Amino acid sequence: MKFNWRYSFSGFLILLILGICLAAPILAPYDPNAIAVADAFSGPTAKNWMGADDLGRDSFSRILYGGRITILIAMAATAIALLIGTTWGLVAGVRRGWVDEFLMRTADATMAIPQILFALVCVSAVGASVISLPIVVGILLSPTTARMARSAVVTELASDYVTAAIASGTKRSKLILSEVMPNIAPQLLVQLSINAAAAVMLEATLSFIGLGIQPPNASWGTLMLQGYAKIWNTYWFVFFPALAVTITILAFNAYGERIRVTMDSRRSSV
Amino acid sequence: MGVFLLRRAASSLSVLALSVVLVFMSIRILPGDPVLAKLGAATGVTPEALEALREEAGLNRPLLVQLISWIGDAFRGDLGVSYFSQFPVTQLVTARIPVTLEVTFFIILIAVVLALILAPLSTLKPGSIVDRVIGYYTSIGLSIPGFVVGIILILVFSLTLQWLPSRGFVPISENLVENLKLMILPSVTGGLTATPYLVRYLRASMLEVKQSPFVRTAEGKGLSNVRVLFRHILPNSLVPTLTMLGLIVGYTLSGVVVIEYMYGLPGIGSLAIESAFKRDYAVIQGVALTIISFFILTTFVFDILCGIVDPRLRLAKGQKSEI
Repeated sequence: MKFNWRYSFSGFLILLILGICLAAPILAPYDPNAIAVADAFSGPTAKNWMGADDLGRDSFSRILYGGRITILIAMAATAIALLIGTTWGLVAGVRRGWVDEFLMRTADATMAIPQILFALVCVSAVGASVISLPIVVGILLSPTTARMARSAVVTELASDYVTAAIASGTKRSKLILSEVMPNIAPQLLVQLSINAAAAVMLEATLSFIGLGIQPPNASWGTLMLQGYAKIWNTYWFVFFPALAVTITILAFNAYGERIRVTMDSRRSSV
Repeated sequence: MGVFLLRRAASSLSVLALSVVLVFMSIRILPGDPVLAKLGAATGVTPEALEALREEAGLNRPLLVQLISWIGDAFRGDLGVSYFSQFPVTQLVTARIPVTLEVTFFIILIAVVLALILAPLSTLKPGSIVDRVIGYYTSIGLSIPGFVVGIILILVFSLTLQWLPSRGFVPISENLVENLKLMILPSVTGGLTATPYLVRYLRASMLEVKQSPFVRTAEGKGLSNVRVLFRHILPNSLVPTLTMLGLIVGYTLSGVVVIEYMYGLPGIGSLAIESAFKRDYAVIQGVALTIISFFILTTFVFDILCGIVDPRLRLAKGQKSEI
């Protein structure tokens, strides 16, 4: 395969973001919750090089620690969406008939409920925490994953090797798990990437309207909410978390897009 | 056409019914007691009083009974009563709908106009600088959360240039100019977030149409590129985009929740957020039902529109055309 720098760049960026967030305790110059009133509303300086917030807390340190929460929630939500969505789509695609019809109509209905609204309902009922947010976001992302998994499985089941496997007497469970699943893995990876981007966006949005991670803990969304409230004092405070969120989402989307394009070009070149 | 209409209506109604049940059930199944939330920190509440409140709100009846009576009432335009203000939910929602519809209208207007400019521009010469720049815009646009676009716009137009107000609302009936002025930033925010979807879709379908023989004919008879683009390719790529537009209207209706909140517009979106903070389930439920109905209605209308424009789409899956 030809080396594709764009492909590797977005992947590299994702790894970099994950690495930076993991290494936050080592990289952060200050305690993210340490208050230093003298530095309040400071713009970027040698001391606080992404500025400081209204209490003088170092923005860079807060963004590093906030990233841990955001990325953690996004990863957990993506895993949940993948698990629920793939099972959902697999069952529908393999069983077909009324099971398929029922499962896909449910997916349609779930997708007709605006995501933010559904999240509002759930979060207002169970409260927002590092446990509840991934579950809510994961559930929200599963119907699209289910649709994708179903169409991939249906296409795959129509192919010759499946007919051959059935003819040679392979058990259905074995056929699905060890023949079909590996073949739809690239499509699942694309969906995984898109889901991760969507999860970061949803978490940030929920925290931004104040129904996500609550202070003193802060995800990127919480930081943006605090920064937005003080936008008339200093814009640095909101600028850097917004940048972090955008770059992360962009990296995940670009990565997914790259795999999709590579997949399509390979398929058409065969 | 009749059969097509019926089939689409049946499918829309079944999706509506299912999503209504989903919303209703998820509110009931999740923990969190609206009666407790209503009483809040009030002290000296006896368990008996609590029980009486629950009884009054009908929360003690079996779930299925609650569901059926709620749907029955909803059909008669009664969405229940807010647990807090005791105002009828229908009244709260209808009072705020005009604002939401106004913003949504402007957002869609901006998105459609921008898409109709950007997509033809980028297909004029695929791979050119213009095409690539538009491609970057759509990729970044799809990855930027709506409220971040809003923050940037506020920074530029309210903070730095001080041209536009960043918060507030004036009803149309009071002052049209002020109303429109306050609508600019929210609409542009939403418009810019919705445009990339439309541009991508329209561009893809335009490139597909560009391959058709009739385009070659048009080029062959010596029409200018621009004329071929606007008279031949664009009209033929609009039908698939129409379906997409229906979806985008739906998504905008829900995306508007955050936009209303951040610009302080009193629409149903901010109503939903206020109610979420108070755990006023009756209101959230009402807002959810309203937005979902709008969403399903718009997709239905756009589906029908597509069927009218392109008769081939009226056929059921697998059904063969008679021609």
